[in-house]
Amino acid sequence: MPENPLTEEVLDAREEAYLRPAAKPTVDSRKFFLSSLLLVLALFPVLQIVSGQFNYWLHMLLFTFMNITMAASWNIIGGYTGYISLGHNVFSGMGGYVAGALLVFYGLSPFLTAPLAGAFAFLLGLLVGLITLRTRGSAFIIATIALVLLAKLGLDNLELLGGTNGVSLPLPPLPARVVKLPFYYGMLLTAVGAVYTSYRIRHSKFGLGLRAIAQDETKAEVAGIPTSQYKILAFAISAFFPGMAGALWAYYLTYLRPTIYFAVLGAAEVVLMTLLGGRGTVSGPVLGAALLVILNEFFVAKFGSTELNIAGTGLLMLLVLLFFPDGIVGTLRERRKLPRFLDWG
Amino acid sequence: MLLAVENVTAGYGAGPNILEGVSIEVEQGKSYCIIGPNGAGKSTLLRTICGLLRPRSGRIIFKGEVLNGLRPDQILRRGICFVPQDRSLFPEMTVRENLLMAGYSLTNKRELEDRIQAVFEVFPALKERRSQPAQTLSGGEQQMLAMARALILKPDLVMLDEPSLGLAPMVAAQVFESIRRLKALGMTVLLVEQNARKGLECADWGYVLDLGRNRFQGPAHMLLRDPQIAELYLGRRMDTRRREQSRSPEQGVEGP
Amino acid sequence: MIQLVQVLLLGLMLGGVYALMASGLTLIFGVMRIVNIAHAAFILFAAYLAFWAFKIYHIDPMVSVLFTMPLMFFLGMGIYKLVFPRIGESRQFTSMTVLLTFSLALIVEGVMGFLYSGIYRSANPPYTTRALLLGPFYLPAAQLYATLLSLILLGVLFLFLRFTRTGRAIRATMQNRTAAQIVGVDVERISTLAFGIGMALAGASGSLVSFLFTFFPAKHWQWIGTLLALIVLGGMGSLSGSVVGAFLLAVVAAYLGHFYGPTWSPITFYLALFLILLIRPQGLFGKKLEA
Repeated sequence: MPENPLTEEVLDAREEAYLRPAAKPTVDSRKFFLSSLLLVLALFPVLQIVSGQFNYWLHMLLFTFMNITMAASWNIIGGYTGYISLGHNVFSGMGGYVAGALLVFYGLSPFLTAPLAGAFAFLLGLLVGLITLRTRGSAFIIATIALVLLAKLGLDNLELLGGTNGVSLPLPPLPARVVKLPFYYGMLLTAVGAVYTSYRIRHSKFGLGLRAIAQDETKAEVAGIPTSQYKILAFAISAFFPGMAGALWAYYLTYLRPTIYFAVLGAAEVVLMTLLGGRGTVSGPVLGAALLVILNEFFVAKFGSTELNIAGTGLLMLLVLLFFPDGIVGTLRERRKLPRFLDWG
Repeated sequence: MLLAVENVTAGYGAGPNILEGVSIEVEQGKSYCIIGPNGAGKSTLLRTICGLLRPRSGRIIFKGEVLNGLRPDQILRRGICFVPQDRSLFPEMTVRENLLMAGYSLTNKRELEDRIQAVFEVFPALKERRSQPAQTLSGGEQQMLAMARALILKPDLVMLDEPSLGLAPMVAAQVFESIRRLKALGMTVLLVEQNARKGLECADWGYVLDLGRNRFQGPAHMLLRDPQIAELYLGRRMDTRRREQSRSPEQGVEGP
Repeated sequence: MIQLVQVLLLGLMLGGVYALMASGLTLIFGVMRIVNIAHAAFILFAAYLAFWAFKIYHIDPMVSVLFTMPLMFFLGMGIYKLVFPRIGESRQFTSMTVLLTFSLALIVEGVMGFLYSGIYRSANPPYTTRALLLGPFYLPAAQLYATLLSLILLGVLFLFLRFTRTGRAIRATMQNRTAAQIVGVDVERISTLAFGIGMALAGASGSLVSFLFTFFPAKHWQWIGTLLALIVLGGMGSLSGSVVGAFLLAVVAAYLGHFYGPTWSPITFYLALFLILLIRPQGLFGKKLEA
């Protein structure tokens, strides 16, 4: 039984306390943690330049940054707004293909065209959102699955870009020792962008509206929130950074192929990361992404086979959904044991 | 005492309490009407009694047995029949199939058939439409079907949640007539009504709920005449004295 | 002209099987509001069972229905009891079911891939190469037998739902869960039963699929897209709607495939899905899909 009934005053007070910037010492400790982390990450590649032995770590880190981008962006539509997208890698896939096409046909470096790929993904999100966000909950989820399958089928048939076999991309003109560096920094910036956007939305009126939609869409509508516009905008925003990350990833992989880019498993992993870390929080997706990469590495090192990987992802997702629906950050917050440096909103 | 609700609190999901400690008593063979403003918890009370909602505290005792925590189908078998606000018919099933479903818990097919025939006697309009899907019936007929379903089970207690809701006054009158017929058959009726006046008119005893708590109770005809209740819950009565008073500058309207 | 009718017949031949596949999914949604994304994965699971029974014990796939159905029935009831009671009546119930069944689909796919590897499989009893002649039209024997069996099973399902007490209870729960509770239906027991029946239908579908199509572990994603389009078209929760939708879309896909090439068939279903969601989200016969 709740201690105080949910009157208007109580709700207003809670929202105010939430939006109010935290007390000084907390901000300092979080800012300190974040700045030192970013500094370390920014300087890390120096080790590679100097010794040449750290390529594996660069790879793991930039892969993690990409996952953080995907998870933090997904969180905007799936966490804040409560609309689960089970085909989100369609945006990174399309971003990759757009950048890849521009590279192959016009010689433009994806480092230049990444924002364009992001914009394309944004527009795609707007369009798809306009069609599919007219329905609620589960119809939307089904539509997102259909979207990624449709994209795969469509590109399978696009001979211009290689069909099912895909197409090779030219290699970046850099020596092997430093070739990963631009990707590292590119992904890092994208990840920072995604998380920062997530943070700003979380602490804004827009974000408040999104959360109202997640709680009870009808009531939100009645309260005057333009739910359709908000939902569609959130979906489009959630597509932008994945689009950029996809562009960089394509160049990094040096080839485009539908099965890899539009695998349902990839979409599942994005959802799992965010669920594991904590849906609807800012730090949750970051934590979840990092954790999943580590778990994945561990499992592949130990067991190797790929089919069980799929089963394992499914099993983990099932367990998280049944027993742990708020994720790590969410559960810690519920029990008031969330350490300050993880409490970004 | 057929039914005793003792200091029950209840709410939906993880939400706040709708009922804040409500108590009512129902005696066999009598009819009761619960009135009160919107959100007072009247429907919630009925849903809690029939098992669709679990009480958070307090007890519900029916024929000497505590009902807390039992499933609706278990409570049904103990003799309480609930007719919800939206009538809860099976829209694509015919009138007859709806009645068959009403008798789902009866194991004796012959007995069920007899009861269906008996119900058709009480509600001849339904007999006419027995092969029509329930969703094609008019509002009043649907309400009749809902009550007919209650009769199939020969329950010890029938609970009706706002039976006149959404019905035109003439049709609503039919409904209240049917309720009076139930009374005449000796059934114990517990009625929740938004149309407080009509509801109290077919009841022996009345309860007034407000904000999840008991406010007033008493013989129904007394509640109808009580000016305080009239002003609060029945809508002010317009009589000539008041119309004259309202022409002059006001300090609020008091009772006649 | 003859060509057109031939294509129509080919479409109708497949429609029966699609209808069978869709009916299980619709039943599960109708009774419990569960969107079973794993339905196609379970169909595939049954297909693998039927395939191995054919390969090793030479059991005809059509006959295998006799054991895939009961097996899937009990498996279904077990899975239901294990997974779904926990999420109870949460507000975003249907969305949760999508996520849960999505995980189940991944698990089934992973296990199948591990056990049977990714090689393309297909059972090939003698009738897969035969065809019947009906005037100027030829009817592939495999598809014909499959559709006939599907129609028989669907007929049995219809009779069960219409004329038995339990069947009526299932229909009642589909139409109004609260009302069913009030008349004394143990909706939990009925839900478990309905899930089992839905899975049994998936089992039968799997047996048929084993000789009608070539399959591999990841193929279920293609079918679930198709099936979901089917039931969204027919109206989720409407059995008659899903059957009609199945035949309709099968015929449309047949025509598109005939005129534009085989790769266009699956695309039909996804485009249909988006189109329906755009124009008429509640489908031809059904209720709107809520959160």
